Amino acid sequence: MSAFGHVLEHYVLVATLIFGIGCVGFLVRRNVLVQLMSIELMLNAVNLALVAYDREQGAGSTGQTFAFFVIAVAAAEVAVGLAIILAFYRLRGTVDGDVADTLRH
Amino acid sequence: MNLLFGLSPFLAVGVGALLLMLAEAFGKPNVAPGVETTDAGAGRAGELALGAAVILVIGAVLSVAVWVAGPESLPELTQVAPHLVIDKFTLFFSFTLCVGGALAALLAGGYLPEHGIDRSEFFPLLLLSTVGAMALSAAGDLLTLFVALETMSLGVYSLIGLRRGSPRAAEAALKYFLLGSFAAAIMLFGLALLYGATGHTDLAGIGAAVRSIGSPGSTVSAGKILISLVLVLVGLAFKVSAVPFHQWTPDAYEGAPTPAATYMAVAVKSAAFAVLLRVLLVGFGDERLASWGAGWPPALAVLAVLSMTVANLVAGRQESVKRMLAYSSIAHAGYALVGVVAAMRSPEAVSAVAFYLLAYTVSTAGAFGALILCGSRGAEAVSYEDLAGVGKRHPAAALAFSLFLFSLAGLPPTAGFFGKLYVFRTAIDSGLYTLAILGLVNSVIGAYYYLRVMVYLYMREPAPGAPRAVTMRSGFVATALVAAAIFVLLLGMAPGFTLDMASGAALTAR
Amino acid sequence: MTPGGYFFGVCAVVAVLGALATISARNPIRGAMGLLATIVGIAGMYVQLSAQFLAAIQLIVYAGAVVVLFVFVIMLLGPDAHGADGGKRPGSWARWIAAPLVSVLLLGGAVLLARVSTPQRFRAAPPGHGTIEAVGGDVFGRALVPFELSTALLIVAAVGAIAIARSRATKPSERPASVGATRRLFGGAIHPRDARTVDDEVAR
Repeated sequence: MSAFGHVLEHYVLVATLIFGIGCVGFLVRRNVLVQLMSIELMLNAVNLALVAYDREQGAGSTGQTFAFFVIAVAAAEVAVGLAIILAFYRLRGTVDGDVADTLRH
Repeated sequence: MNLLFGLSPFLAVGVGALLLMLAEAFGKPNVAPGVETTDAGAGRAGELALGAAVILVIGAVLSVAVWVAGPESLPELTQVAPHLVIDKFTLFFSFTLCVGGALAALLAGGYLPEHGIDRSEFFPLLLLSTVGAMALSAAGDLLTLFVALETMSLGVYSLIGLRRGSPRAAEAALKYFLLGSFAAAIMLFGLALLYGATGHTDLAGIGAAVRSIGSPGSTVSAGKILISLVLVLVGLAFKVSAVPFHQWTPDAYEGAPTPAATYMAVAVKSAAFAVLLRVLLVGFGDERLASWGAGWPPALAVLAVLSMTVANLVAGRQESVKRMLAYSSIAHAGYALVGVVAAMRSPEAVSAVAFYLLAYTVSTAGAFGALILCGSRGAEAVSYEDLAGVGKRHPAAALAFSLFLFSLAGLPPTAGFFGKLYVFRTAIDSGLYTLAILGLVNSVIGAYYYLRVMVYLYMREPAPGAPRAVTMRSGFVATALVAAAIFVLLLGMAPGFTLDMASGAALTAR
Repeated sequence: MTPGGYFFGVCAVVAVLGALATISARNPIRGAMGLLATIVGIAGMYVQLSAQFLAAIQLIVYAGAVVVLFVFVIMLLGPDAHGADGGKRPGSWARWIAAPLVSVLLLGGAVLLARVSTPQRFRAAPPGHGTIEAVGGDVFGRALVPFELSTALLIVAAVGAIAIARSRATKPSERPASVGATRRLFGGAIHPRDARTVDDEVAR
């Protein structure tokens, strides 16, 4: 397997795996901090896929530029998300997402 | 110079937002003497609202100006392509977004001081989120699409979370944030696959690559395209709040401060529809992908039918007027999706959807505004009982509410009537008879819960001793309602002019 | 197997194990460390993919800012950061159907996408691919518009985060335009039936 690590599909496979793990984490876990971390996993996985595709394309750096902006967006999202989580915590005293159910009557 | 003129709507709103932030930061707080505050914008919600509304009106006027000048005659605009595609489609949606944003800003100018939300950051956030929404409707490249989408979304999450001290608002913000980011991440994976499959991030290049599938020498993988289509549709269906991706909508609208809910209902939805149309028609506009047998039209048709039906059935059972309006907006998304389904076969469908969204924007903003008017001093009108007897106590508010409810229900001579008429007519012209019939049936069913509000306004008395919401007196809200009413009546009685404009906004699949 | 292959293997294993740790750790600090491991693993894979600048940015921004922010907030929350019951409980049925379904779908999709049967090595990277000049040329050239748009994004994020998380700026007892004794203003009572909660919160 001398091509191991030099093939596009291996990177895409790893990216999809991490994306899937992030999805499962978001759906199953109740702790909103872990849910936010799962979203970050998903975004990282997408970045990996983008950079791998960019390497495959050869000329031009479109994929890497895209990944660059995704990193910026993810950082901004984490800032706002943690602020919302903190505000929620201050009012409800917990980071358990299932507690957020007073809106359903 | 021409480039600046062509970009002027975006620049006006963006620069205006920055200037408003500076004005907020360097002004003096307007609080009672002796009160200490570290917030320079405290108590100045009125001025900031006026500033924000003026900036957005300027943006709308500039959109019209660029339209009249003709974006085709500004060749320098190709410099910003493919990231920002300034054509008549974009300008029409920019106009809609600026109008919706201005109405929301005026409503906030009345609502925020009345209900004690002393966060004057509302207005810069609103303006910058509108910049994101306008850029989203102009996005011709996946990169701009994602950055603009997130700009708009982060702004909206923040607007919802501004009501401190309310656990419902914190819940609404949290849930919407988590689900929205999840959907955005899913869509992003679809975008990455699209790039990987075609090697392009610009929608035109992607469209060309998709069309070349099957021709000799093409290395584009159809499987990747299909998977990415599904993922992108899932992400956008979430933003548009189509059933079954709508679960977040009623909670988010109910927990949010009502002007923020208004902004969500009008601006986020319009921008999401704009990008949906552009992505589907330009990127996935290939005949094989858009065929009725197997492609995105049947999937969207299913979403449309589900949205109309489920939302109409559930809305009637709501006890809270805000939740009812949330379900109403889901149903309207369903009607608009009928137009999107027809878009491949009939170029007028895009114009119909654009007109529909403009009509929907002014009607929904008016309905939410009338609801705001019916509550004051920290007690909002939430349930139907709160509205009982308003027809007698405050006939102007009740009249305004009735006008907007008529428009939402699609009764003549309002804007909503013509919006639905055009969408269903294009559906029939495209041969989508079932969808059109289902849409008409749903419109009739939907009228029930709109008329129910009017029954409470005019024919019910408040129960003795029950807490009663008192209507507020606010020049800002009144101005917004008058402006919205003028639009609704104008579009309803003389739709031809606006429809001609909308026809220019047609986007073809080439 | 080439040294590059070993490096990829190590990074991939670290990344995937880190992801698994993130979603399954009961202690959110362990989750944050798992996230860190994933980020570092992915940065290693970037280097292997000839994206050196991006690898550096990944470490600086993600590992150096985002994970640090998570750790700050987790520390701020203290023991409450654990949530309840370790996060895994027979909750709503939808979740327990959705999760295995999603994982099966994604694994299937991954295999489909992978086409592991006919792997083709990457062509040689063009010189200067992945350097600061290459990405920078794009960001300030071809992708200038998204770059300017990200100004709006960052301002929105900064202003929004501060506005949401900031505590009260004005003393509550001297709210402007305060009404009579029957109504509290800023306390968030949307409806009179919430009036009880308002007093509890203000008393906190």
